[in-house]
Amino acid sequence: MKRRAVLIAMTMAAAMAAICGCQDKSNAKTPEQRAADLKQSLAVDVSKLKSSNNQPLIIMDDSPLNPPPRPADPAALPEDDAGHWYDMEYAGWRCTKEDLPKSPADGAKGKTVWCLRHMDHPYTTAYVNGMQKVADAYGINLKVLTADKADVNVQSRQVDQAINARPDMLIILPVDAVAVVPMLRKLKQAGVPVIASNLIPVDEAMKYVLTWSGPDDWGQFRMLAREFAKRMNYEGGYCIVRHMAGGSCFNSRTWSVVTELKKIAPKMKCLDMQTTQLKAEQTTPVVAGWIAKYGPELKGIVSADDSGAQIGINDACAKAGREDIIRVAAGNSKVGMDFIKAGKLHAITYQNAEADGALPMKLAADWFNGKTDLKPVYYLPKHVITAKDVDKYLPAQW
Amino acid sequence: MTPDGAGSFLWRSLLLAHRWRVWILCAAIFGVMGAVAPHFAEPGNFANIVKGAGTALPAAIGFTLVLLAGQLDLSVGSAMTMGGMLVMGLAPRLGWAGALAVAAAAGCAQGLANGLLVSKAKINSFIVTLGTMLIVYNAMAIYSHGGTIPAPKGDFTLSDWLQGPVVGPVFAPRPGQSGWAGAWLTLWLTPRNFVAIALLAAAWVVLRLTPVGRGFYLLGGNRQTAWYSGLSVDGYIIGAFVISAGVSAFGGAMVAMSEAAGSLEVGDRSLMTIVAAVIIGGTSMEGGKGSVVGSAVALVALTALTNGLDCLGAGYEVNLMSSGLVLALVILYDAIWLHVRRRKLGQRKDLLAELTRSIS
Repeated sequence: MKRRAVLIAMTMAAAMAAICGCQDKSNAKTPEQRAADLKQSLAVDVSKLKSSNNQPLIIMDDSPLNPPPRPADPAALPEDDAGHWYDMEYAGWRCTKEDLPKSPADGAKGKTVWCLRHMDHPYTTAYVNGMQKVADAYGINLKVLTADKADVNVQSRQVDQAINARPDMLIILPVDAVAVVPMLRKLKQAGVPVIASNLIPVDEAMKYVLTWSGPDDWGQFRMLAREFAKRMNYEGGYCIVRHMAGGSCFNSRTWSVVTELKKIAPKMKCLDMQTTQLKAEQTTPVVAGWIAKYGPELKGIVSADDSGAQIGINDACAKAGREDIIRVAAGNSKVGMDFIKAGKLHAITYQNAEADGALPMKLAADWFNGKTDLKPVYYLPKHVITAKDVDKYLPAQW
Repeated sequence: MTPDGAGSFLWRSLLLAHRWRVWILCAAIFGVMGAVAPHFAEPGNFANIVKGAGTALPAAIGFTLVLLAGQLDLSVGSAMTMGGMLVMGLAPRLGWAGALAVAAAAGCAQGLANGLLVSKAKINSFIVTLGTMLIVYNAMAIYSHGGTIPAPKGDFTLSDWLQGPVVGPVFAPRPGQSGWAGAWLTLWLTPRNFVAIALLAAAWVVLRLTPVGRGFYLLGGNRQTAWYSGLSVDGYIIGAFVISAGVSAFGGAMVAMSEAAGSLEVGDRSLMTIVAAVIIGGTSMEGGKGSVVGSAVALVALTALTNGLDCLGAGYEVNLMSSGLVLALVILYDAIWLHVRRRKLGQRKDLLAELTRSIS
């Protein structure tokens, strides 16, 4: 029996060694090739690319990053004080980068970029579509891995795989704003250049990435809160259906609203908040419970999602005969925009999913082309969609 | 060789293949992925597979032990989560060693509660551990305010040590090199992996070579016989649950310390992989049969499968489907094997021939 075990172990080892002998890692370019590739890459113009709803694909908010002064100890402030969330809201704005990898300055053509996205969702599908359009324009090879359903273990494993495979660039959508810090640190130590995207990590993580791009969730939701307050006549109780725990949206889509309303509408009161994992079937009973518990005191609901969660909210409101409840949400899915048109949802944030995916790929291409003065943070433009202008954003991307 | 001899040889070969089936499955996955998946057959990637399998290994050992004793422990995942959260949450006050001890003790307490409810209150272990799983997971969600607990003061010293080489940097490959010997010493034999392997070795020794360990097999095989043999049935059941939750919490704490973050998802998402690995590894759902080594090899095989599919760029749906497919195939194979074996044992051709001769 022992001999058989030894034999099997030896066979496995020999097979592995044989397989490994087939690896070819040669990837050297001559200076002439590098120069030619750079010239070709610099000539690529992606500004004319369009997303599937005919909006420009490459868009960004050019406003300068001027953060307010940081409180001495944000954690000591109460949660409904905007200062408590300072390090999340302004994550990366003032960070000093660690010794990050240098641009090869030899163009984007033929480069390999890995995208580690947090989950499979219609939004991330549209996100990857946008990213792929830019990758195709530059001749970049894009490989996308998904961390199951936002599983931090899987993302950690995929980061380890990326370190082993050494892509030319990694674009990561952090599953967990905090747990991503050691992952980004490892990538930095391994010399893999990283752009973080879509979900914003904590400030500590920003020093390990070349830049971050995505929607300004805090800013968007402050805009949405102002629209919400206007429709609520600046008074009344409201509840919040939160995003999934762990991700940056869990806090940004909750506390931006609470802190903004505290400032502009002190008569408005947050009655309750809960995560329903963005699922309709989990949202309906929660909202039905709120309606039963708070009765007429509940006048508005803010949702971190205008699709699954909003279906549950609208279902509960309809069953309780409470169509009077003012509803706003993060958008802008087909479901959400259809609700806007039907008058069952009053406002949603504008979030161009394809542009969200296109922007980090454009920034990656710029870096391959030798651009070194990347801003620490690139936001997508902010806007709140209402019944007045919803048609402009149709057909929906997801 | 006579036809009978050939048949006998074939049967013996099949028996041998059946005995080593999980190893063969593992070798097949490595072979196929190594041939088709880019970057799969590289030292660094093998280290990733070992590390990935090691993440859930302590909980898989615990789950195997409980299953051997004829019970089920669905709360191993939540014990992992609890271990990870407590060690990160308590480290600033108690230090790493103190926090690790408390985390493991909390796991043992969870196991004790499970064991008492199953053995003394006679409640089905599925129900008990399902309840414990939900209670502990949500208690941890409250403890962490639904978020992740980072390493104290962003200190990565322990994390770096746990994922560094056991034997020191002298064997580390130089930059640009990726020698297999260097990889073995620097990438694979990290303190984190070393602890998981040591746990596995200890569990194997206890289960195979000691009377106490054989008692778990006896209990799972036939509870009444175990009782007639003078085995403390309740004691064994409680012990199995305590060890299961204890090593799971310890494993979760090790993961959190090496990843420098305690996350709610560490155990929550690992349960299905653990269950699949233990079943694929040959542990019987009815108890009394199986081994921790089989579970460990199956865990490596499943990790290699998902790793290889990632190397191929397959989507996570393909990943999940493939793991499910392997599990389904193994269960189907076991069912067919049992059927064939029973038929084979029932045939007794020599007796039939003798009977035929005597009649004629």
